[in-house]
Amino acid sequence: MGDMIKGNIAVAEAAVRAGIEVYAGYPITPSTEVMEYLSARLPELGRTFIQAESELAAINMVLGVSACGRRSLTASSGPGISLKQEGISYMAQMNFPAVILNVVRWGNGLGSLDGAQTDYLRETRGGGNGDYRNIVLCPSTVQETVDLMYEAFDIAEKYRCIVVVMTDSGLGQMMEPCEMPPFREIRKCSWGLDGTYQVKRPDFLGRNIPGESDAYIRKVREMRENEQRWEAVGLEDAEYVFVAYGMCGRVMTGLVSEMRAAGQRVGLLRPITAWPFPEKAFAQMREKAPGLKGLITVETNGEGQMVEDVALYAKKYGLGQVPVYALPYVCGVPKDDVVKADFDRILSGEIKEVF
Amino acid sequence: MREVLFAGFGGQGVLTAGLILSQIALYAGNNATWMPSYGAAMRGGTANCTVHYGEGPIYNPGQQKPDLLLAMNTPSFKKFSSLVRPGGILLLNSDMMTEEPTAPDGVRLIQVACNQIADSVQNARGANIVMMGAIVKLLGDFSYDMGLAGMNDMFRKKGKSKFEEKNTAAFQAGYNAV
Repeated sequence: MGDMIKGNIAVAEAAVRAGIEVYAGYPITPSTEVMEYLSARLPELGRTFIQAESELAAINMVLGVSACGRRSLTASSGPGISLKQEGISYMAQMNFPAVILNVVRWGNGLGSLDGAQTDYLRETRGGGNGDYRNIVLCPSTVQETVDLMYEAFDIAEKYRCIVVVMTDSGLGQMMEPCEMPPFREIRKCSWGLDGTYQVKRPDFLGRNIPGESDAYIRKVREMRENEQRWEAVGLEDAEYVFVAYGMCGRVMTGLVSEMRAAGQRVGLLRPITAWPFPEKAFAQMREKAPGLKGLITVETNGEGQMVEDVALYAKKYGLGQVPVYALPYVCGVPKDDVVKADFDRILSGEIKEVF
Repeated sequence: MREVLFAGFGGQGVLTAGLILSQIALYAGNNATWMPSYGAAMRGGTANCTVHYGEGPIYNPGQQKPDLLLAMNTPSFKKFSSLVRPGGILLLNSDMMTEEPTAPDGVRLIQVACNQIADSVQNARGANIVMMGAIVKLLGDFSYDMGLAGMNDMFRKKGKSKFEEKNTAAFQAGYNAV
């Protein structure tokens, strides 16, 4: 087991080991340690660190690196990620792979510095204008953050898509021990521009939009089919299944195991990909949990965001009659006792279902 | 599983104290988490962190019911003392208490003059390390040797081994003060 390491530092080092040659970003709490660390680490390895003049500049630098078939990273939080949306949407359109770290902080506009899950809907729906989807990885421990960041680049290049690693203030600022993966060899994607003008220029005016869209949607469907990830506990006998990701997922992993040990028939679905949402788990639930009485999301936002996806996929997989509840805790780390008490309030009928 | 809350003014070393305890736990083969409170805090403002340690996975790294609260000043004592679980320990820096403290029912109150003790071992900036010695003894999970070795190991890895003698003196003084 390694020493204590801060989530933001660990995830930055994981990106270095995955082979980023460039970091371009603009600082914002609670993600700043990522670039602070890389400002020394990348030059030490002969790689490039740029503190851009703005978030928009940073994401366009990432776009440029990606166009050359090379790996890079940008990180930000809430409003900083909003500013990057133009570049993200452009990269999606051009099929440029990229990995973006969102260390989510609570709120609208400037928001606050608290950890939260208020960006769920934005991240899972693409974020910018258009008809694209990003793969959204939502780890719940520092180790999982490292492992997913390390793999994110491979996933992005496999589909030539954008992968968002979504942590939050809590996971970014907390420390716990973790193991680092080995260094990857740096290489260039074969399709990357190299200054020799051998890549054919697209004919902008003669585009076939339905054809372009069809090709993109085929890719989206492939991503949706192949990349769903989740962890499940107790689906075989659960009457109530909690659904929680990230910091809430980790809290609920512990609580569900404790409640099951006390004889309560509860289960847990912990999405590791927020998009594609792990809908296959719903198919399993329909098979495995005939006595299902409720699905309950535990989230740190105002009234639940993921709860909408849970209700949609429950409907899709024939669980439409099962009540779907949300336990939203706004920000921070939910307290075990509070969640348990609120579960009792669901059982007593005091807390009503959302869908 | 243990939970310890470290609180004080920014600059009193409470975040470092929490980190030391978590590193001692790892050194002893346990698991640990360290989580700072996060706000628009600045130097001179209040700072706190929560450490959990024990065997196996730690699911909830947040602040719940600490087994021990280290309050390095009066505002931290007032803000957090009610959180300590029954049977737990309230460890106060008596050099910084502006009023007579009382503990909630069932909570052990222990006061250590850690600033004076730190001065007496010529380590004025080591009040947090004095308290670390006291915490290791009060919790009883790690021996004196294990605690000291875990702490010194952490500073060595950070390239700060030149303070080892002074830190050892502060740790020992705190251990012996409770």
